[in-house]
Amino acid sequence: MKVAVVGKGGSGKTTTSAVLARTFARTGMKTLALDCDTNPNLGLSLGFGEEATEALIGVREAVDAGEEEHAGSVAELIDRFGVDGPDGVRLAVVSAIENPEPGCPCCGISPERLLAQMEDVEGVVVADFEAGIGTIMRMGDEPLDVVVIVAEPTAKSLEVARRSADLVNQHQLGRVLVAANRLRDDDDLARVRAALPGLEVVAIPDEPAIALAERQGDAPLDSAPDAAGVRAMVALSERVMAPASPGG
Amino acid sequence: MRVAFVGKGGAGKSSIAGTFARLLARRGEQVLAIDTDPMPGLAFALGIDHSDSGIPDAALEEQVVDERKTYRLRPGLTAEEAVQRYSAVGPDGVRFLQLGKARGVRGENARSHQAFQHVVKGIPDAGWSIVGDLPGGTRQPFFGWGNFARTLVVVVERTPASLLSGRRLARLAGTGNISRVLAVANKTTGRHDADLVEERTGLPVIGAVPFDPSVSDGDRVGEALLDHDSNAPAVTAVDDLVSRLLQEEEHA
Repeated sequence: MKVAVVGKGGSGKTTTSAVLARTFARTGMKTLALDCDTNPNLGLSLGFGEEATEALIGVREAVDAGEEEHAGSVAELIDRFGVDGPDGVRLAVVSAIENPEPGCPCCGISPERLLAQMEDVEGVVVADFEAGIGTIMRMGDEPLDVVVIVAEPTAKSLEVARRSADLVNQHQLGRVLVAANRLRDDDDLARVRAALPGLEVVAIPDEPAIALAERQGDAPLDSAPDAAGVRAMVALSERVMAPASPGG
Repeated sequence: MRVAFVGKGGAGKSSIAGTFARLLARRGEQVLAIDTDPMPGLAFALGIDHSDSGIPDAALEEQVVDERKTYRLRPGLTAEEAVQRYSAVGPDGVRFLQLGKARGVRGENARSHQAFQHVVKGIPDAGWSIVGDLPGGTRQPFFGWGNFARTLVVVVERTPASLLSGRRLARLAGTGNISRVLAVANKTTGRHDADLVEERTGLPVIGAVPFDPSVSDGDRVGEALLDHDSNAPAVTAVDDLVSRLLQEEEHA
């Protein structure tokens, strides 16, 4: 199963991806988290810590600099450039950071190609996409299973969400699930529903404990597992796995 | 002045860039604000309707160079005329162009990218200031979209993720025409935040914008910060930033 997490920068994509990945792993699924962002910070939210997160990027940079052998296949890429972390989630950084030369499978300036090449995925892949709609725009017609669109109740974030949903539907990339994030009240939820009519919406309340975890570089699932916002993201993982219920 | 704002998504690039462009225009500069993000963040921050404000295909001419299809501005159309004709004019007289617009199909972006390059290269230095907003990642800055800028301002908040991003973006110094890279500490809650940004990114911090609920309140109702609350502390801080950069230009 391939799950992509998209949205405007700062809307909470990475935090959501991390909670989803670890929750899937806790249910016993083999889980691979792919950091497709050119600013790869998923390791922090997964609870790998700053040092391990930077070390993973360091390996990518060493490849770019020609100090490290390129990986010849997607499997080798995940094997060599990934590490295992909390709850057994395997994390791989697949966005090239500075090297603009497209080349082999591991020089993924094109995470969308890489995802397309991953056939017969065992368990679940959670891909944290780059901010904005660039990656889904370039996806062409390589289907995913579920696209989680993280949207805040702001005009900018909802505009990104609307365009993302249009592209996903246009190219039939997968089922769309909207994670309405940082909701302060019912008006906020109404804003999201009004901007994204007909889409399946999961409400996630504004959660100070998540903001605090971000400031401290912790995984919210470790520092505040019982906070309402974290529990809502855990519930989102169940909806991702559950059959679609349109308009829900 | 030729300045581009970069930083991790959500760090506040667009809000600061849009407010900066308008406050610069209020001081009498002719300002062209350019958004190379296919998303309308900067338009919102400027208070401009985010409908089409790009260079239309009709303004371009196809040419084949080394067997590759490329595009240039139609003969007779200068970059300045293209700006006059196709940009949207927003509050405070800021002109706005959106480039690199999403067209939905892979490869189609070459056309708008090249239009963008021709326009920013052709805009005369005299009489024009350019304020740009680059997308969140490091992809665009490293691919030449930021070449119009001589000053790059990295917007950083004090979260580890934003600080790490800031440190990576600091490496952009020396690429393109960028002669200096500076940092702005955003959403600060004390003097220590700016120190932390300086220490962790290694960049000189040229300004600090305090945490200000007016910014997110304006975002929720879809209003530019300057229109939502022109006396907000964040506005004052961005105005200080305008002064600082103008002063530095005079000395440079």
